[in-house]
Amino acid sequence: MEKSTNTKKEVKISFINRHKFATMLGMSVFATSLLVFISMSMYNSSGAAQLDLSRPGYISVRNKAVKNDEDFQGFSSIGDINQKTISEFQALFTKQANKIKSVDAFGGDPLSPESLGIGVTPSDSSDTNQ
Amino acid sequence: MNIHKRMIIFSLILVACFSALSFLNVSAQNTVINSQQTEQIRSNCASTKNTLNQLHASDALLRVNRGQAYESVLTKLLDKFNSRVSNNKMSNAGLTSVTNDYVTALDTFRLDYKTYEEHLSAAIDIDCSKEPVTFYDAVLLARTERDKVHTDVIRLNQLIDKYQVSLNQFGDDNKAAIKGINK
Repeated sequence: MEKSTNTKKEVKISFINRHKFATMLGMSVFATSLLVFISMSMYNSSGAAQLDLSRPGYISVRNKAVKNDEDFQGFSSIGDINQKTISEFQALFTKQANKIKSVDAFGGDPLSPESLGIGVTPSDSSDTNQ
Repeated sequence: MNIHKRMIIFSLILVACFSALSFLNVSAQNTVINSQQTEQIRSNCASTKNTLNQLHASDALLRVNRGQAYESVLTKLLDKFNSRVSNNKMSNAGLTSVTNDYVTALDTFRLDYKTYEEHLSAAIDIDCSKEPVTFYDAVLLARTERDKVHTDVIRLNQLIDKYQVSLNQFGDDNKAAIKGINK
């Protein structure tokens, strides 16, 4: 009689209880995957991926990134405003403005078909592919 | 039996018509390029991909360095000077207005660069030897997005100039107050 009751109890033990270790592993993998998915989504959607020069495609330029801008002298937000401070600010501002404007960033047209060597004016031939 | 044959022929004609319509619709989305260009894309595929990869890397570096410079101008100069003017209880409406425009332009620059990078990456991922037309379209799309980024850079540079003008204006408008402080 007692043996029969024990057997029933054993049958009632849930799947999770019988596979505790495997369940724990499965749950851990699921939680990790979920967190990785969330963090990768945030990484891509926030624009951080575009700034991450540690990505494999950016090896050649990684060392050229400006790691700190210590030479960029800031201006104090505390103090009086007088002709001298305005002149000081103007000098700092003009220096940085000239530095920035000296480079025509994203200028030119390197993606034009001609630059890439794949350009012939479209639709100038009767034989067209779509 | 005869009716069945007619039904089959009618169905085949319908299917052919729908296929032709859908084909036309898809074709309308693509750029029309001639066979010479298609062949050119296929034959120059490796070198074009190489050029795109180099551009991808150099533009990323440019984005990091330029972005940092624009960010520093905002946080280390504009914001600081505006705060100082504000702390001295002087009118800085002109300076604040330009700074707000600068912040908006900087956000647009960040967003447009992200879009451009995504399009360029998509173009790089396309196998140009197998899908020359899709590749060509993707490159043209990335080119348009890059133009937008360039426009954003020009806008930011213009705002830097505008701040300079506002600064001179601020000096003129507050001459009396500034002289008072000097006393």
